[in-house]
Amino acid sequence: MAQVPPLPIGPSAGGVPQLSVETTVQQERDLAQPGVRPDEFGQAPELGFWRLSVMRFLHHRVATGALIILGVIVLSAIIVPIITGDLYRIQDYRHPFKPPFQSFQHVLGTDDLGRDEFARLLRGARVSIMVGVLAVTGYLLIGGTLGALAGYYGGWLDNALMRFTDIIISAPFLLVVIAVTAATGGVRLSTVIIVIAATGWYEIGRLMRAQFLVLREQEFVQAARALGASNTRIILRHILPNALAPIIVSATLGVSGIILLEAALGFLGYSIPPPEPSWGNMLTEFEQYLLEDKTYLVFFPATALVVTALAINLIGDGIRDALDPRQR
Amino acid sequence: MTFYVIRRLAIGVFLLFLMSAMFFTLTRITPGAPISVGENPRIHQSVIIQRLHRLGLTDEQGNSYPIPQQYVLYMGALLHGDLGDSFIYNRPVTTLLMQRLPNTILLLGTALLVALAIGIPLGIFAATHQYSKLDMTTSLVSYVGVSIPSFVLGLYLLIIFGAFLKQSPLHWGFPLFGMHSGGVDDPIDLLYHMVLPVTSLAILEIAIFSRFMRASMLEVLHQDYIRTARAKGLSIEKVNYKHALRNAILPIITLVAIAIPQIVNGAIITEGIFSWPGTGQLAFQAVVTRDYPVILGVVMLVAAGTVLFNLIADLTYAVADPRIRY
Repeated sequence: MAQVPPLPIGPSAGGVPQLSVETTVQQERDLAQPGVRPDEFGQAPELGFWRLSVMRFLHHRVATGALIILGVIVLSAIIVPIITGDLYRIQDYRHPFKPPFQSFQHVLGTDDLGRDEFARLLRGARVSIMVGVLAVTGYLLIGGTLGALAGYYGGWLDNALMRFTDIIISAPFLLVVIAVTAATGGVRLSTVIIVIAATGWYEIGRLMRAQFLVLREQEFVQAARALGASNTRIILRHILPNALAPIIVSATLGVSGIILLEAALGFLGYSIPPPEPSWGNMLTEFEQYLLEDKTYLVFFPATALVVTALAINLIGDGIRDALDPRQR
Repeated sequence: MTFYVIRRLAIGVFLLFLMSAMFFTLTRITPGAPISVGENPRIHQSVIIQRLHRLGLTDEQGNSYPIPQQYVLYMGALLHGDLGDSFIYNRPVTTLLMQRLPNTILLLGTALLVALAIGIPLGIFAATHQYSKLDMTTSLVSYVGVSIPSFVLGLYLLIIFGAFLKQSPLHWGFPLFGMHSGGVDDPIDLLYHMVLPVTSLAILEIAIFSRFMRASMLEVLHQDYIRTARAKGLSIEKVNYKHALRNAILPIITLVAIAIPQIVNGAIITEGIFSWPGTGQLAFQAVVTRDYPVILGVVMLVAAGTVLFNLIADLTYAVADPRIRY
C-alpha cells in the first residue's frame, strides 16, 4: 500500500471534490485494510502487515525452532518413504523385535513382524500430516463459509450453527467421530478425513462468526456499503482479510488437534487399516509390547506424535504473537 | 430464576432428543445387521428374532420396522429406563452402565479433585509470584501438558512406571493394568492401582486449571480495589487470599463444568489403556467390537451428564456471585 490519495471530500487542492471511478475503487481498497494507515507524520509504513508479521514470527526463537523441526519432519515424511519404498511392510521373519540403534540395517529396530520401525514411522508421518492438512482445509471451507454467512446475515443459519455446536460440545467427540465413521461404511482414510472435517469445523465456524459480528458494524464496512459495494464484495474483500488473523491461529492449532484425534482413532482401529502404518495403529499392540519389555515400540510412535503436536502448537502461538503483538 | 431453570432444562432435553435421533440414525444405517456382529451358530433363529424384537428393530415375526418407528420404540423404552441389550454381553445396557458407573465416578472424581487440589494453588502461586522461577516452570510444564493427549501420557507412564522402574533395585513399579481382583474391598490395593490412570487424566486438567487460575488471578490483582486494600495497609496475604482470591476463583466453576466432558473423553481411551473396569472401558470395548447399543447408551449418558453439569455450574455461579441474576 503506497500513499493514500487525498480524500475527494473536504478542502482538497482542487477545491471541487473529484469523484471518479478510480478514486472510489482506490478508496475502497484502502478502507479494506485499516491496519495500513499513514501514521501521524503522514508517512506510510514501509512494510505491509503480512511482511511485518513474518518478520515478527522469525524473531520468535522458539517458534522458529519449532518450524524448523516441523519442516524436517514434513520433508523426511515426503522424501524418505520414496527411498525406502516397500520396507515398511516387508516382514523380516528372522529379526522380529530387533532392538533399536544396534544395526545400520534397522536403525530404530523392528516390530513384532520384523518390519522396519523407522520406515513405518515416516510412512505414518505421511498419514498424520495428510489427515491434518486436509481436515483443516475442510474446517476452513465449512466453518469459514458457514461462520461468515451466519455472522454477516444472522437469522436461522446463525441459530442452526449455535445449536449444532451445542450438540457437538455436549457429546463425547471421540464417540461421535467413531459412530459416524462406522456408519459411513468403514475405515478408509478418506472417510476419516471427511468425518473429522464434518464434525470438527464448529470451532472455526464460531470464531469466524464472532469476527464477522464485530467487523460488520465497523465504519469501514459501512463506508464500503455507502460506496455501493455488494454484500459478496464486502464479505470477501473487506471483512474477510480483517477476520483472518485469529482464524489462521485456530487452524494451525487445529492441525495438531486433528493429528492427535487421528492417532486416537487409529489406536482404536478406526483409521487407516493395516498393513499401512499410522502413529495411532502402531500403538494398538501396546499391551503385548509392554509385557514383553519392547518399550521402544511404544516410545517411538508416541514421541513422534508428541513432538509433532508440540511443534505445531508452538508455531501456532508464534503466529498468534506475530499477528497480534498487543496480546503478549 | 425458576423460569430460567425450566427453560434451560427444556433446551437440554431438546438437545438430548436431537442427539439421540442423530446417533440412532447413524447406528442404524450402518451396513450389516446389528445381530450379525455377535453371530453365534448355536443361537436358534427364534431367539435372534426375539432379541431383535426386544431391541425394537422388528415385529414378532422378524419383519424389520422402518427407522423412524424403530427410533420411537427406542425412545419409548428409554423413557422407561431401558436402553436395549448389548450385542456382546447379551445383557441390558442399563445394567452394564450401572455396574461400571461407580468405578468411573471413582476414577474421574479422584482425577478431578487431584487436578483442582494441585492446579489451583499452583496457579495462585504463579500469579502472586509472577515471573519467579516457579511461575516460569509452571507455564512451561502446563504448556507441554496441554500438548500431550492423556492416552499418550498414559502410555508414557506405563513405560516408565510399569516397565522400567519395575526392574530397578527399588522395585518402584506400579501394576501395569487394571483393578485388582480385590476390587473396591481393599482400599490400599485400589489406591495403588489408581495412581497411574489418575495421573494421566489429571495432568492435562492441572495444566488447564493452573493456566486459567493464573490468568484470572493476575487480572484481579491489577484492579483498583486491590490497590485500595493495599493502600489501607492490609497485609499482602490478606489482600491476596481474602480480597483477590474470592473474585478470581469464580470463573473456575465454569471451567470445571467444561472440563468434565473433556475428562470423560480422555477417560474412554485411558480406561481402555489401564483396563479400568468403568464405563469408559465399556465404550472402548464397544467401539472395538462395534457394539452399537452400548455406544449409544454411553453417548446418551455422557450427553445427559454434560447438560446437567453445565446447568449446575451456571446455577452455582449465580449463587457464588450475587451480581449475576437470571
